[in-house]
Amino acid sequence: MEQPHDLAVDASRVWDRPIVTVPVLICLSLVGGQLPSFSTAANLYTLGTGSALIWLGLGNRAARRPAPRRLPSGVLWWLLPVALFAVLEAATFLMAAKDEFPTFSRLADPLLEEELLRSAAWMLWLATFWGLVRR
Amino acid sequence: MMRTIAITGFLLSLVLFAVVEWAARREGSRIPSIGDVCAYLMRYEVGPVPVGRIGLLGFWWWVGWHFLAR
Repeated sequence: MEQPHDLAVDASRVWDRPIVTVPVLICLSLVGGQLPSFSTAANLYTLGTGSALIWLGLGNRAARRPAPRRLPSGVLWWLLPVALFAVLEAATFLMAAKDEFPTFSRLADPLLEEELLRSAAWMLWLATFWGLVRR
Repeated sequence: MMRTIAITGFLLSLVLFAVVEWAARREGSRIPSIGDVCAYLMRYEVGPVPVGRIGLLGFWWWVGWHFLAR
């Protein structure tokens, strides 16, 4: 049977296995966690890692898991967290009340100054990115 | 007061994300996982251009830059 073009990828590449990708993502996250916000290094590092993952994601270089052709009606449950987050973010952004009614990123900024949490955030970002590349 | 509302609201939305994902991973669930929803969105193409894929990967790139670089 012919495979759809977006699914037919050889999964046997050595670098495309958890034993390789997990340590690589951890190393990248630890390096990212050392780079302070608003620095040129942090900007270049984010652009570099993001570009590489987008390059992998737009080509057929990484094995992809099959995507569903239809979504069940239960998908509507996702509107609950998405709508709550979107409404709050829009309200806090539009009111521009700074610390009185802070946006999500304003709340996250002080937490992300801590190196360990910053590395954890890097790991979350990169691991999710990798998950999207594989989809 | 407003600050407490914002913090509580954002925390609640994060908890809801986790709860819906947990519900999606149960045996026989009618709720798709967040990965399946993303995969479905990324299937969207306009002609030969994978618009959904470019959009979602680009959005996630921006999220990383917004929180970790700027």
